[in-house]
Amino acid sequence: MTLDQKLKHYRLSQSEYEKMKLALGHEPSQIEWALFSALWSEHCSYKSSKVHLRGLFTKHPRVVQGPGENAGVIDLGQGERVAFKMESHNHPSFIEPTQGAATGVGGILRDVFTMGARPIASMDYLCFGDPKDSETPRLLAGVVKGVGGYGNCVGVPTVNGQTTFHKTYNKNNLVNAFSLGLFRPGEEVFYGRASGVGNLIVYAGARTGRDGVHGAAMASESFGSNLEAKKPNVQIGDPFYEKLLIEACLEVMNENLIVGIQDMGAAGLTSSTFEMAARAGTGLRMDLSKVPLREPDISPEEILLSESQERMVMIVEPKNLNRVVDVFKRWDLDCAVIGEITSGDHVELVWKNQVIARVSHKPLVNQAPVYERPFDLPSQPKKTEITTPESNELGSVLLKVLKSPEMRSREWIFKQYDQRVGAKTMSACESDVALLRLPDSGRVLGMNTGCRVSVMQWHPYLGGADAVIFPVIQQATRGVKALALTDCLNFGNPEKPQVMGEFVSALKGLNEAATQLEVPIISGNVSLYNETQGKSIVGTPATGIVGLREPLLGPSHEFTESALEIFILKTKPEMYLMGEFNRIVHDREPQGDFTEIHFESVKSIQKFCLENFQHFECAKAIGRGGLAVTLARMCLSVGAEIVSLDGPRNPQVSLFAERFYSVVLGVKKAKAERLKQAIEKERHLELVPIGKTQEALELKILNLIKVNLNDVKTAYSENLGGLVENLA
Amino acid sequence: MSKKVGVLRFLGTNCDADVYQAIKDLGHTPEYLWWSDRFDWKSYSALVLPGGFSYGDYLRAGALAAQAPAMDDVKQAAKSGVPILGICNGFQILCEAGLLSGALTKNISRQFQDEWVEVELVGSDGPWTQVGQKSFRLPIAHSMGRYFAPKDTLKALEDDGLIWLKYKRNPNGSLHDISGILNKNRNVAALMPHPERAIHSWMGSSDGRSLLQSGLGGAL
Repeated sequence: MTLDQKLKHYRLSQSEYEKMKLALGHEPSQIEWALFSALWSEHCSYKSSKVHLRGLFTKHPRVVQGPGENAGVIDLGQGERVAFKMESHNHPSFIEPTQGAATGVGGILRDVFTMGARPIASMDYLCFGDPKDSETPRLLAGVVKGVGGYGNCVGVPTVNGQTTFHKTYNKNNLVNAFSLGLFRPGEEVFYGRASGVGNLIVYAGARTGRDGVHGAAMASESFGSNLEAKKPNVQIGDPFYEKLLIEACLEVMNENLIVGIQDMGAAGLTSSTFEMAARAGTGLRMDLSKVPLREPDISPEEILLSESQERMVMIVEPKNLNRVVDVFKRWDLDCAVIGEITSGDHVELVWKNQVIARVSHKPLVNQAPVYERPFDLPSQPKKTEITTPESNELGSVLLKVLKSPEMRSREWIFKQYDQRVGAKTMSACESDVALLRLPDSGRVLGMNTGCRVSVMQWHPYLGGADAVIFPVIQQATRGVKALALTDCLNFGNPEKPQVMGEFVSALKGLNEAATQLEVPIISGNVSLYNETQGKSIVGTPATGIVGLREPLLGPSHEFTESALEIFILKTKPEMYLMGEFNRIVHDREPQGDFTEIHFESVKSIQKFCLENFQHFECAKAIGRGGLAVTLARMCLSVGAEIVSLDGPRNPQVSLFAERFYSVVLGVKKAKAERLKQAIEKERHLELVPIGKTQEALELKILNLIKVNLNDVKTAYSENLGGLVENLA
Repeated sequence: MSKKVGVLRFLGTNCDADVYQAIKDLGHTPEYLWWSDRFDWKSYSALVLPGGFSYGDYLRAGALAAQAPAMDDVKQAAKSGVPILGICNGFQILCEAGLLSGALTKNISRQFQDEWVEVELVGSDGPWTQVGQKSFRLPIAHSMGRYFAPKDTLKALEDDGLIWLKYKRNPNGSLHDISGILNKNRNVAALMPHPERAIHSWMGSSDGRSLLQSGLGGAL
């Protein structure tokens, strides 16, 4: 191969090649090319994003472990802790949706149980292209099958998530998987550190095959048109194996038989071992001929880069080796000593009794290239006048919006997920916040996901902030106080200054909101190069947010009985964006007056909900599609009559715009007075009575909308599976 | 002291901890039994085969678990009248082991289905029917839950009163709306829904309590 061919094959730049040569002091060997290619890939090194991630709000007394480990950990008090993280598997899921999504779930589960926490809940954040795009049905059907198939088999419930359809994701779908694990009182946190000179490196789990070789490098570039050729880069998962691995790993951790542990994720054995050595400041000697193989003629380079799934590396003191092997054997798993920890900072790789490489992990891990890529920040958000054609048919407009693929019920998706295995689920995918009862304290863990594409389209800073604020308010409506978050930053090609500017702006918004609401960022993942044939996606900083409610019971997310007083609890100032309505009804870009975040009022509305939720029978944050859609979704079994709207605006805007930020409350008459008193102290909030729930099974809004609840239900529950019906 | 309730664990079983906890919450003493170990079935008042994906559903759901060494003792216990309950994958295993008739096949939706269903108690004899309740709201979560058997077997089940539970609205195409059946001696029972996920009202229903409770105390 010529140098140019090598650069292309290993996806390194000319300047990276120079840097690599300088670090090594010689012309790199084939193995060294492979190691640098993997560890310096965007996926492993975060070279484009690192400078921007450094200043994030990650420290807080409740944070036990922040970013940098396999998953973040927070302390919930009473001896309970949770580990969680969210990760993207976008590129593989486009090439091979079922396996791509399945291994995304498998990977994030491993990140969590590697910390010593038993996974108890998963969520998914999925984005597909236009429902009419020819690829959408195949991707939707495949991804959902992959997420469900994996989670169901390992026995971890998928409890919440969100699914977006938008043309920006045409041929570039997003699959972000979140997983959370629980440490029960007395259980220890484990780390991916290769500590203790003389300790053994133990390989456990599935055998190594050729699947996924160069997967990390693949995930670090854009897609052209030649997708078939990339299929061998996609890994194949086996959830049954993963289940055994979870049990075996947790058993050796509970018995305190290991020193450190890490899963083999992107760039497989290479990244896991080099990173563990870098964290511990030790060296390694590894004999690649000891690695259990699926087929005999795999080269050392392939062994190093394989992304075969369901594999772990453990660091074990020699005296505990036999017991570790016994545990894995009991779970019918392979386990092999492949090396040991040495002093210094060198990794020595042996193949058939010959040293084939000896390199310091320093240039590969801690001194990997970091780029300050040029960026063009987006211009300030501009207030635009919301103009919308007059309509006398708002009732049918509402039904049309509810029925649209963008808005309709995701039941077809979540019915394919086991939402209750583990027997902790109180409320799952049907609600905007999942609730799980913690088995030891009896308190309630809440979780949901954030990021709305129309807000990102409107402005990256506002979209980034909204990705935190909106789910935090949704949690507050159910009495759940948000405690920490993980993020998955999906953006386009970072070599384009405008994309980099979008990234910087969105991250600034996200971080500002996290700081203001005291929701530290404890883990995350960056997925760049979400670009197909030169077109980047609208940046999508997805979040997974975890919170806690002390009492077991709290408000419902839908109207529960008639004769409740309905209020809008709103921030002052409250801002509007005609996002989904414009898109669904008029196929237009968003318009609105949402130009800044008034953090004081956002904090007030969260605090007010948390202090008063015991007085709400039901509560729901006004979300996509505005007040009308929110009311319709609360009216699934009880009707409502709205007698006044909460402002002087054009009724279409009052009814269908997304609001920043407001909540609909259903309150018993006897408790309404207390809320009215409580609101008087609030400078930044307003409580506006707008109507009552009623026995009549209809939703009536002034003389504008009058729809039968059966029609609402029929529209909302239009089967999403209809989109994929024509697939074989 | 009352006897223990044995909870079988196969490789890939994933509802074992939930069943264990439910048995405890109902005031009994659960104990895990490992698939490859023989056990003294006489020291258990009842045995439960929990749900999950034993052996990853490879070959056929339940087919490999049915061959596990511990199943020899389950069969002995079944013969001797010990109450035995199979839930979901446990149902599939009991059919594959020949302790119950028929088979569980792919849902007619050809998809995994997670939803709440209403089932009705149909059987009236044996330890698993002493429930004091007729109708139950329980969650299902399976892709291979459609009960299937030849016509004469179905007729025999109906005639002999061996159908334990029927769906009120059939979710998966089960023949005769069957969601649970009994063996001839009525000590072996199995169902596709998950009673262990419906034992406290915060779970969405507590109807699973009485179903589980009925047989756990031992033979009548």
